[in-house]
Amino acid sequence: MHSSVSLKVSNLWVERSERYLCKDMSFFLSSGDIAKINGENGAGKSSLLKILVGILRPLEGNIHYNNEDVSVYRDLLQKDLLYIGHDSGVKSVFTVAENLRWYFPDANDDEISLALDAVSLSGYEETPSNQLSAGQKRRISLARLWLTEKPLWVLDEPFTALDIKGVASLEKHMKEHVEKNGMIILTTHQDIDPSLNLKEINLSL
Amino acid sequence: MTYMSFIKGELLTLLRRKQDTVNALVFFLMVVTLFPLGVSPSPDFLSVAAGGIIWCAASLAILMSVESMFKEDFNDGCLEQWLVSGLSLPLLILLKTFIHWLVVIAPLLVMAPLLSEMLFLPSETFSVLLITLILGTPALFLIGTIGAALTVSLRHGAVLMLLIIIPFYLPVIIFSTGAIRAAQNSMMYDGQIAILAAISLVFLVVSPVMSAISIKASIN
Repeated sequence: MHSSVSLKVSNLWVERSERYLCKDMSFFLSSGDIAKINGENGAGKSSLLKILVGILRPLEGNIHYNNEDVSVYRDLLQKDLLYIGHDSGVKSVFTVAENLRWYFPDANDDEISLALDAVSLSGYEETPSNQLSAGQKRRISLARLWLTEKPLWVLDEPFTALDIKGVASLEKHMKEHVEKNGMIILTTHQDIDPSLNLKEINLSL
Repeated sequence: MTYMSFIKGELLTLLRRKQDTVNALVFFLMVVTLFPLGVSPSPDFLSVAAGGIIWCAASLAILMSVESMFKEDFNDGCLEQWLVSGLSLPLLILLKTFIHWLVVIAPLLVMAPLLSEMLFLPSETFSVLLITLILGTPALFLIGTIGAALTVSLRHGAVLMLLIIIPFYLPVIIFSTGAIRAAQNSMMYDGQIAILAAISLVFLVVSPVMSAISIKASIN
């Protein structure tokens, strides 16, 4: 069980290349929520995620995490955060297991093979990542979800590289995560299992 | 991610990509070897020029090795992961620079006795050459880091990066060769050495912070 978390975004203005992506946006999320950011291609869903995790800066707006103001420094939020962005964050010179160890130095062999099993990459532990396909690389970064203890997950298009079985298994894992008081913010173009109880955040002007 | 796993990862990357470091070192060796062939092999000329030749070759080799320091991390998304890891970005950059410095400079120092013998550098000035290399090259790396961070998101940033950082390399090269020349003429060289150390210390403070700001500005 995680201790409960909350995220409050208020009056967020985002501008990218002299174009507004959102004006005066506000939403509130708490433990047990799965939020899906809606928007057309190029509407700035990834940018919004990057702003939430602190990679990009918004034009204006406040972000509170657990009632602490993290608008300027995201340290408190990043302490609890697992972010999977559009780029996989997988080093091609490492083997699959080394990539996971880079993120989780304390994980033992069993935990790593369990996580790889969950994304159907078992047996690939010692394979150099540059020999894997783009989809498999993507799944390495998803394997982090089975190793982490962090309550806040921010996932950019997590379902793209998965087959039907993979999608089902990830959905199940997400469900377990929010039942343990976790929080998930994601973007996706795919339809998700309605029992996940999505909160939708619309990105429109 | 922890600082420890970051350091391990960097060392592992350098080990797996050893050809990049080897390239820079071979380049260094080639320049130093070709110089006497191209200009003049006479001991009179070489013993005067030795310090300058070694320093210019070393600067160029260092330029080669820092140029693409953050490129791969940027392309595969690991740079983003550094930013959200909650670890201090300037410290991560400093660690990375230090590891790169160590990996390039250690073999360079090992080659130095052989090369200075080859260039007829008087043996009493050899220790001065070593001191200038140890005190001066950190500055070259730290300056290069700023350049690499500024141009990380550019596809063809190499030339721009050279233009940005070469002016800052000049004082380091001038003072180190100045110290070697002073030692050859049996003059005091403490002043030049002190300036070299000062330049390195200034960039030790400035470079990680400036590189962190540049990287944050580059990612978008």
